[in-house]
Amino acid sequence: MNRLFAARRPLGLAALAIVAWVLPYRLNVYWISVADTALLFALLAVGLGLVMGIAGQVNLAQVAFFGVGAYGVGILTTAHGFGFWLAALLAMVAAVCAGLVVGLPALRVQSHYLGIVTLGLAVAFLDWVTNAPVTGGDSGLSGIPTPPLFGVGLSSQYLYYYLELIVLAAGLAFGYFVVRTSLGRRLRAMRDDALAAGAAGAEIRVLRMIAFVLASVYGGAAGVLYAGLIHYIAPETFSIADMFLLLAMVIIGGRQSLWGCVVGAIGLTVAQQELINLAAYAQLGYGMLVVAVVVFAPTGLAGVPSRVRRWRLRRRSGISAAALGSFSGVPSSGRTGAVLEVSGLVMRFRGVIALDRVSLRAEPGEILGIVGPNGSGKTTLFNVISGLYRPSGGRVDLDGRVISGSRPWRISHHGVARTFQHLRLFGNLTVLDNVRMAMDRTRSWWSWRYVFWPVGVWRHERELSRQAGAVLDAFGLAAFAGALPHSLPYGIQRRVEIARAMASAPRLLLLDEPAAGLNGDEQRQLAEIVRAIRASGVTVVLIEHNMGLVMSLCDRVVVLDSGAVIASGVPASVAAQPAVLEAYLGTTTLPSEAS
Amino acid sequence: MQSFFQTLVSGLSFGAVYSLIALGFSLVYRTMGLVNFAHGAVLMTGAYLASTFYLSARLPFAVAVPAAVLATGVVGLLIERVLRPLESKDVDLMLIGTIGAGTVLEAVAILIWTSSGRGVPSPVRAAPLDVGGVRIPVYNLVVIAVAAVTMVLLTLFLQRTKRGAAMQAVAMDPEAATAVGIHVGRSNAVAFAIGAGLAALAGSLASPMLFVSPTMGDSLGIQGFAAAILGGFGSIPGAIVGGLGIGVIGSFAAQWFQGYSDLVTFVVFTVLVMVRPTGVFGEKTVNRA
Repeated sequence: MNRLFAARRPLGLAALAIVAWVLPYRLNVYWISVADTALLFALLAVGLGLVMGIAGQVNLAQVAFFGVGAYGVGILTTAHGFGFWLAALLAMVAAVCAGLVVGLPALRVQSHYLGIVTLGLAVAFLDWVTNAPVTGGDSGLSGIPTPPLFGVGLSSQYLYYYLELIVLAAGLAFGYFVVRTSLGRRLRAMRDDALAAGAAGAEIRVLRMIAFVLASVYGGAAGVLYAGLIHYIAPETFSIADMFLLLAMVIIGGRQSLWGCVVGAIGLTVAQQELINLAAYAQLGYGMLVVAVVVFAPTGLAGVPSRVRRWRLRRRSGISAAALGSFSGVPSSGRTGAVLEVSGLVMRFRGVIALDRVSLRAEPGEILGIVGPNGSGKTTLFNVISGLYRPSGGRVDLDGRVISGSRPWRISHHGVARTFQHLRLFGNLTVLDNVRMAMDRTRSWWSWRYVFWPVGVWRHERELSRQAGAVLDAFGLAAFAGALPHSLPYGIQRRVEIARAMASAPRLLLLDEPAAGLNGDEQRQLAEIVRAIRASGVTVVLIEHNMGLVMSLCDRVVVLDSGAVIASGVPASVAAQPAVLEAYLGTTTLPSEAS
Repeated sequence: MQSFFQTLVSGLSFGAVYSLIALGFSLVYRTMGLVNFAHGAVLMTGAYLASTFYLSARLPFAVAVPAAVLATGVVGLLIERVLRPLESKDVDLMLIGTIGAGTVLEAVAILIWTSSGRGVPSPVRAAPLDVGGVRIPVYNLVVIAVAAVTMVLLTLFLQRTKRGAAMQAVAMDPEAATAVGIHVGRSNAVAFAIGAGLAALAGSLASPMLFVSPTMGDSLGIQGFAAAILGGFGSIPGAIVGGLGIGVIGSFAAQWFQGYSDLVTFVVFTVLVMVRPTGVFGEKTVNRA
């Protein structure tokens, strides 16, 4: 079925291109201007979709990027006599700078905080253009020249339509190129779970800035084109009401799909023109539509087909656990295990001591078990090792290099991978993409290739797919490559998380309660997998409550209680120590015996 | 020095209004976890209702305002019913859904009252007080006093009454609250109605100082939300401090930077949020893995 879609897609695109190309011949002067506006909104919406839907960053300042592009061209051409295209280039630079400024708060705050900050900055921009002499204040700027192209002035709205169409097509193509490859996969992973994405090697801060820069490029381009189309700009075009209208377009169309954004933008623009004399009713309509979409279909119109397909698939057969293949060994990574050395580690949370001078050591080719009652600091220890927490004291070394205090992505690049006590798979990424995301070991600055060397991106992508396929095969997960994690049985999700961790070719693997929720059979398979990982030379540290598994699997065990190490050694000897029994079962000597 | 105090007084009276708005935001957020971007539109609805009662029905202002507060509380119950499915969703969807609800309210206001807006004459005609050369409009004092009394009453309600204690319990742990027999849905509805009432109070108090129009909630809502975040989202004393803070910043920005007051206010706000995202009284949160 998927292959059928893939075969149909180029045909559909070609048909769409032809329709878009001949459309102006069917439109009168009024409707061609509507079409021109619709294409601009589509470009804006794609930018907003990228930052909000793909990267998960709330951005209510998209309309300000639009404004910076438009005013940039307006000011430079009318007040400074620049040619249109030079002004356009500089305006784009200004828009990107605006994107960096608006994105800056995203480094510190997220969700509704980011919403109000970006909205506040949009209000600030509006305030500036309404008051500054250079922007013409309330009355705005007029007399912006028409952009010339190959000696032809694009004064005809019909010709301008084609210019916009080409820019939008290029924008969409580039957008899809980003979304479907390495950078977009990281952005989507960050949207689904920023914590897990960081632990899998994604530079969250850089990615957030990239997301805002992408949005500002699309916003700025739309602004430049708007200035050249209308020749006149005034503050009311960049109002908060227009920001919410743009938001409605993206939400109704489907924020996670760039096509959805385009459809939403065109649909709402046309509907608004149709209802131009009933503006309040139009507003009432799209407001109710937004509420309805958010409540009933959060992925918007674009999400409807896949929801229907998934619903039908579930009714027909569902995904069967029987498709799980057998585990066939860890693909060799060519990297050897690392020595983990934790010394005197202290972690304090406002007076509560979660880790109290913890010291331990794990060698390559060894499975170290960490046990202890609930709340004894086991997961906190993992969180410090993997960089989610900065320790209050002490240090963690990996092969003699200090890693404590580094950011999670850097620790991941040093060769540490982990799983989580409560599964943290990227929910809207397929199993294959979950694995490919972790497998991608490039740094964020590698992304310059998207602009200057796209072929390199394609090659990298092919290589990733090949290796990820090998990992899925090895873990017996090939049948689920295209499935979303939460559609799979729990035990398989656990295995996907281990496969994802191993995809980054780690030297140290941290497993946080990998057996939780697994049945006996699955636990045996898990033990087999962990032993194979040890055999491949990787150092393994695992937290586990299942003592049977710990006893049979681990080479050495460290017992934590109230944040401190109370025992360590080979499993059998540790289990016999009185201090361990006391920690697990309470006081060893019952009062009756003592008397 | 005189102009400093003059600016301060004007900042504090707007700040009192922002505090009331922030209080509504925070009360709804801490009780039901809903970030309500429709709050500004609810405020606008309240302001229109009050001005209609005051100007068209010719009720005294002191009667028109409580009537508007009650009526908006009822509107709040209605909105809560519509938005209820959003309460358990992720914050981004909530944010967008409530923006949609605000758009609807604004459209309804345009359909009923047209988009042209109306001025409301000040109900207090006494001459401004003169305190050491600083002229203080009596109405501003009324606003500050009403806001202060409201905050005291709200605090007493939350701490001394059974219903208030139940709402506090829901805020801390909805599941545990259910387990001890508190009706979480009803508690949420009451919280939303009170939040809407607070917004209506803020809107009707502000209407003689501003201009009542369908879009008045946009700017007031954003300022009030900023105030709530500045003080520490979900905190009652934070809402008061944040509201007064935003009011004073805005007032001095208008004094020193003329038209650019919004620009300065929000740039300052952005910097403050980046320095201390949790606000003055906010809880520090820890990532859990």
